[in-house]
Amino acid sequence: MNRFITLMPRNILYFVCLLSGSVCAQEINAESVIGAPTQEGNKLWEGVKKTWRDDIQFHGFLSQGLFSSSGNNIYGQSKDSVSADSTEIGLNVSYQAFNNLSFAVQGLYRRAGANTGDAGEVTLDFGFVDLNLLNLSDGRIGVRGGRIKNPWGLYNETRDVAFTHPTILLPLAYFERSRTLFLALDGGQLYADYNTSMGDFSFKFNYGWANADDKELLTAIINDPTASGYLESDPSFVTQLSYEILGGEYVFALSYAELNMRYQAKNIGDPYAQLDADIKSFIISAQYNGEKISFTGEYSLQWNEFTDIRFGVPDNSPVSEHWYVQAGYRLLDNLQATLRYDSTVQDKNDRYGKGVEAATGGMVPGHLMYAQDIVFGLRWDITPAWMIRAEYHRMHGATTISLLENPDFSKIVKNWNIYALQVAFRF
Amino acid sequence: MIVHFINKNTAQKQQRKSMILLCIVLLLNAGVLNAAEVIVSANVVGQLKDTHKLQAIFSLRTLYWPNGEKIKVFVLPDNSAVHKEFVKEKLGMFPHQLRRTWNRMTYTGTGQPPITVDSVAEMLDKIQHTDNAIGYIDRRVEDESIHYFNAP
Repeated sequence: MNRFITLMPRNILYFVCLLSGSVCAQEINAESVIGAPTQEGNKLWEGVKKTWRDDIQFHGFLSQGLFSSSGNNIYGQSKDSVSADSTEIGLNVSYQAFNNLSFAVQGLYRRAGANTGDAGEVTLDFGFVDLNLLNLSDGRIGVRGGRIKNPWGLYNETRDVAFTHPTILLPLAYFERSRTLFLALDGGQLYADYNTSMGDFSFKFNYGWANADDKELLTAIINDPTASGYLESDPSFVTQLSYEILGGEYVFALSYAELNMRYQAKNIGDPYAQLDADIKSFIISAQYNGEKISFTGEYSLQWNEFTDIRFGVPDNSPVSEHWYVQAGYRLLDNLQATLRYDSTVQDKNDRYGKGVEAATGGMVPGHLMYAQDIVFGLRWDITPAWMIRAEYHRMHGATTISLLENPDFSKIVKNWNIYALQVAFRF
Repeated sequence: MIVHFINKNTAQKQQRKSMILLCIVLLLNAGVLNAAEVIVSANVVGQLKDTHKLQAIFSLRTLYWPNGEKIKVFVLPDNSAVHKEFVKEKLGMFPHQLRRTWNRMTYTGTGQPPITVDSVAEMLDKIQHTDNAIGYIDRRVEDESIHYFNAP
């Protein structure tokens, strides 16, 4: 009996070893069979190969958000209700014409509350020709011409693609109202990549004209939704130097932008006719992308030179400050929790908007000049193509709200909540 | 009798030890057989052998073979166990890091992401029938139509 007991585990071990060996062998046999397609299969494949163009690729994305809030509206009439006025659909095509010449274009349909209206709007998101001038084994230099996305911070280039950022609402530094201005430049880009054993450097310099014609932006600068004119871009530039270690486990970036605008009056006697707005801004970014844990932090200062604003802003060259720290944890490979503390002030010298409040006789409330946001979000990547996520924001201050959606200054609430749900698809 | 017993006991212990070793070796072999292997098209065999280059190739930082041809990268879906193992073991990265890089290129128009295939069988088929291609399979299979990245 004793001998039987000592033999049993031994036999089981042998059995397991043999079994694992035979399973492997079987799988290899199956693989070899699959690996050698039949003659008929080969003929079929040759036919497919001739008609298939692998130098053209199509990709796209889609997202739909649901927002509910207390106090103020966000993306439509969300206050004490639910708004579905947030939709983004993008479709792009890229064509590698030659080894050093390619084309890419992306169209974007977007519905974002009052800013785009119910029907939404279709825009050319990017469209450019890319000429690779120098290609070495450790780097490359090239130029792009057309409409090119601006490399500003970690998320600006792909800010409309839900999959590329951890929360539904981007950090406050990526102001919704300056989205159009920062999004892309019509002009050219010089790019250079250099890969070393110590990490990979990437440099981009965009020069051209921004899309400054945005009602939301104009309203934010002059605090007057009734202005009849529009903003037009002067030559501007955006540049970024980024450094990634271990294939993006550590990411560091420094971005700088100079965006210049002029007001174009439509009527004689327009009080803002001489308005000129120049924005200079840098953002410094650091990110750690571990297997389970991720940390992200960004800090930005923005110098705003507003000349000849008629009223509303006591200091016409405020310095805005935005920063946040964010931690992510992967509970599973496809389930990620995110926690963020986010802060933004419109004027470092008037952090609580007391100056603006006093200068306007209380018409513009102080809490329209700052915001602090504590975010908790949960993201579930159901498949590589489908994702769903939910998040809660505890807001203190309201500087990020749309004035088109919250037109009555006296009703803007200081402490409020946002609940959001989003479903997204990509291919 | 006592001596005999001790001897018998030691012998049994030794026998058990050797058997456990055998099993470990077998299991290790199975592990090696199951390790992802990088494969390339017949026309680029031996073009690059440095495994440090793999990270740059799959991150789309190295875009061309030394012969000047554009590298065609094939991958399995992000949630595939083979993909996860390949990215960890061969690239020393995590799938979400690669996806971040690919997404940025895809949705800014600055690069074409790798082509995703649905299975190891499709991967083998694509690499065997496409020039300048690179991909991976779930284990090493001795078959003269399959060319490995680090082949002599």
